This record gives sequence, C-alpha cells and structure tokens, in this order.
Amino acid sequence: MPIEAADCRTPFGDARATSAALLGGRRALCPCPVLGPDGGDLVPLALLSARALGETAPPGWLPCLDGLAAGIPQGPWGGPRHPVFMTSSNFGVGSLFAFQRDRDPRHIEYCMPYSMSEVLRQRFGWGSNVTLVSHACVSAHIGLLLASRCLRSGSAERALVFTFDFISPFVTAGFHALKILNAGMPAPYAALPTGSIGLGDGAAFAVLGRPGSGFCLSAQTLHNEMHHFTANDPAGAGFAASLAPVRAAAGGRRVWLKGHGTGTLEAGRLEAEAFARHFPDSPLVSWKGSLGHTLGSCGLVELPLAIEAMRSGRAPGTVGTAPPCFTDNVATEAFSTAGFDGAVIAGNAFGGAHASLLLGHD
Amino acid sequence: MSDPLNSRLKNLIVSTLKLEDVDPASIPDDAPLIGSGLDLDSIDALELVVAVEKEFGVKIASSEESRAALASVSQLAAYIRTHAPSDRSLG
Repeated sequence: MPIEAADCRTPFGDARATSAALLGGRRALCPCPVLGPDGGDLVPLALLSARALGETAPPGWLPCLDGLAAGIPQGPWGGPRHPVFMTSSNFGVGSLFAFQRDRDPRHIEYCMPYSMSEVLRQRFGWGSNVTLVSHACVSAHIGLLLASRCLRSGSAERALVFTFDFISPFVTAGFHALKILNAGMPAPYAALPTGSIGLGDGAAFAVLGRPGSGFCLSAQTLHNEMHHFTANDPAGAGFAASLAPVRAAAGGRRVWLKGHGTGTLEAGRLEAEAFARHFPDSPLVSWKGSLGHTLGSCGLVELPLAIEAMRSGRAPGTVGTAPPCFTDNVATEAFSTAGFDGAVIAGNAFGGAHASLLLGHD
Repeated sequence: MSDPLNSRLKNLIVSTLKLEDVDPASIPDDAPLIGSGLDLDSIDALELVVAVEKEFGVKIASSEESRAALASVSQLAAYIRTHAPSDRSLG
C-alpha cells in the first residue's frame, strides 16, 4: 500500500527534527512529578514544550495538532471516498480527569472520544466519514490496517490515519500504580535488574493510497495472544505469531527492526528474543528510551521516522540503552540503512495485542 | 506458633482479593503466591501491593521488587520488616 505522506510530532518537533535529535542521542524524557500539579514521585515523561502535565480547557496540545494537520496533503478528508481513521488510546481522558477534579464544564467537550473527535473534525474541516479506533497501544497500527483494507476493497481512493496521545495525570498515575513507570529512565532491551518505562506525547499522520513518499506498507499483521490482560505468554508465543507472517512477507529482503521496546524487562526480553529468532541478521532498535512510550500513537509516530532513516541513510540507535542487552541484535548506536530494503515496525498492547508492519520501497 | 505478621498478611491476602473459599490459616508460609500455590496473577499482585502500602506504609518501587516481595508470605513479611517505617506496628 503506497504511502503518500507521513509526519509526526514529538517534543522534538516534526519527523525530521525528531530524527536529528535521536541521531544525536538526545532524550526527550525528563523527571516530572507523576501527578502533575499534585506532585508525587518523579518519573520520566516527555511532554510537548511549554506543556504542563495537567489539562486545560481547551487542551494545551491542540495547537500541536494544528501544526501536524497543516502538513496533510490536500483532499476532501472525511468525504465518501477519503475516509479518516482517528486513533488514540485515550482520546480526551485527561480532560475527563480534569473535569472530575475541578468541575469546570469547559472540559466536557474534550473529554469523550466522540466529542473530542468532533472538535477535531470541525477544526480541520473534515467530513463525517471518520472512524475512531481505540485499542490501547496498537491503536495506530489498527488504524493503518483498516485504512489499507478500505483501499484494497476499492471503497476509498485515499485514506488518512491520524493519531494522537497526550499524557495526563490519570494515565501517568495508572502506569505508576502498575509499578512500571518509576524513577528509572527506560533502557529498552537492556539486561538490567529492574525495568522502567517513560511516557511521552506523540501525534502523527499517514496518507495511504497514492505514491508520494517513495515507500509503501508491504505487509501488516495483527494478532492477539489471549494470554492475560497485562502479561505476555512467557514462551513468547504472541510475539512469534505476530512476527512469523511479516518474516514470510519480507522473503529475502534485508530489513532492520523498530520494536516496541518500552523498557519493561520481561516483555522486552521476549520481544528481543523473538526478533532474534525470526530476523537473526537484523539490527533491532527502540526509540522509547528517548521519546517515551507514546501509547496509542506508537507505531505511526515511528513510521515517518523510519522513512526518514531510510531516506537519509542513517537510523538512530536505541537511545538510553547500553550493553549488555538481552540479545546481540540490539543496536545501541546509530547505523547505516544503506543496503537495507525496508524495516519492520512492531508494537504490542495491554490485552495481548501484537501488531507489525513491513515498510518497503514503493 | 505462627508468626503474627505472617498471620496478619494471610488475612490481608484473603480479604483484599476476596478469596472467599480460602482459609487464611491454610496458606503455607513459603508457598509461591504468584503463578502457582495461590495462583495469583499480576492484577492480584497489584491489589496486594496497594493493600500492603496502605496497611504498612511500605512503598514497593518497581514491578521487579513487587515480584520478589510477593514470592511468598514469608518473603513479604521479611520485606515489610525491612522497609516499614519504624513507627508502624507489625504485630
């Protein structure tokens, strides 16, 4: 499926600025109080510049989405043959939390998925052909998959996938309660005694259906291992089931790997081992040690970064991670993408979902 | 004679997790709590961590520390004895 255009927004800026920051080994994550204005333990968060952790009405991140949307190629988005797939793991839950806290009715129009999407639809002048997708941290992957299916079935000419996840005290408190968001900086795939994630703001879009970027989605997979809500099958069966089809689709092509790699130990080890088995000669990176986990927007935030890496000839390494790692294929330093035919971008989510895509040349 | 802290923890486990069919006295001190033995899962572990934090003022910092502390009732008791504030009664 050809990718016409894609871009992202992280605390570093657009895809080009983010890629440059990652190549320079910079971290967007820094210690912030887990409860925002209410204080609490310091945990690694990556917030858009000048944004505090705590919701305003209207949300302080809306101008960021304005900037992102300005880069979307022109089209009758939301019209009958130009569907929009809007994805997020939590839409306006930060506004819901803020309303519960201070009872300011101005939060209400931003706090539900439907109302938040209506705000954006009207703000960007989109028609009503907008589908909302929310499935935790594979939301954006599912949006891309649905868009591809829509195009392949002939029911659309082009499709826009638009994703955003902006963290809030509700979200940070939840991950902190799970003991996986703690004081430590994330070091994806590092063989350490304790693990920690970071959380980050992220937004991105991709337009599919026409050539334009020089790249395409060659394959996409989605699988649910049905093991447990918050833990993976200890044998790694879920990762294997998700990666086997994309390995087959890659055939003899040489690919590099952008994994989920949030910084947790058990899942990180299972994922690294699964990649090493299925793609033994491929370097594996995660950028969440810098950007944090961008929740439902992950996968699509990294897509334009991967495209930039292929275009520029250099892929950022796993920022924040130093050896020893779980497997030898983890690339802790930047590397040349010359000679690679594409990249695998993978993600997984609470509830046992796994998703991956194969990015190739058009 | 049973360690009073161990007994207290067994009662806490049964009440927190609403294990209506489990007699607290029947939980062995050294049997695994997670995965086998009582076969608690990560969600149960989270509830126990919260209950322990409230009851004993003990903060468990990471999921790895949680897994080690919840290995058994005896392990949990030892962890609490090491980390509880000095003004907390552990009897």
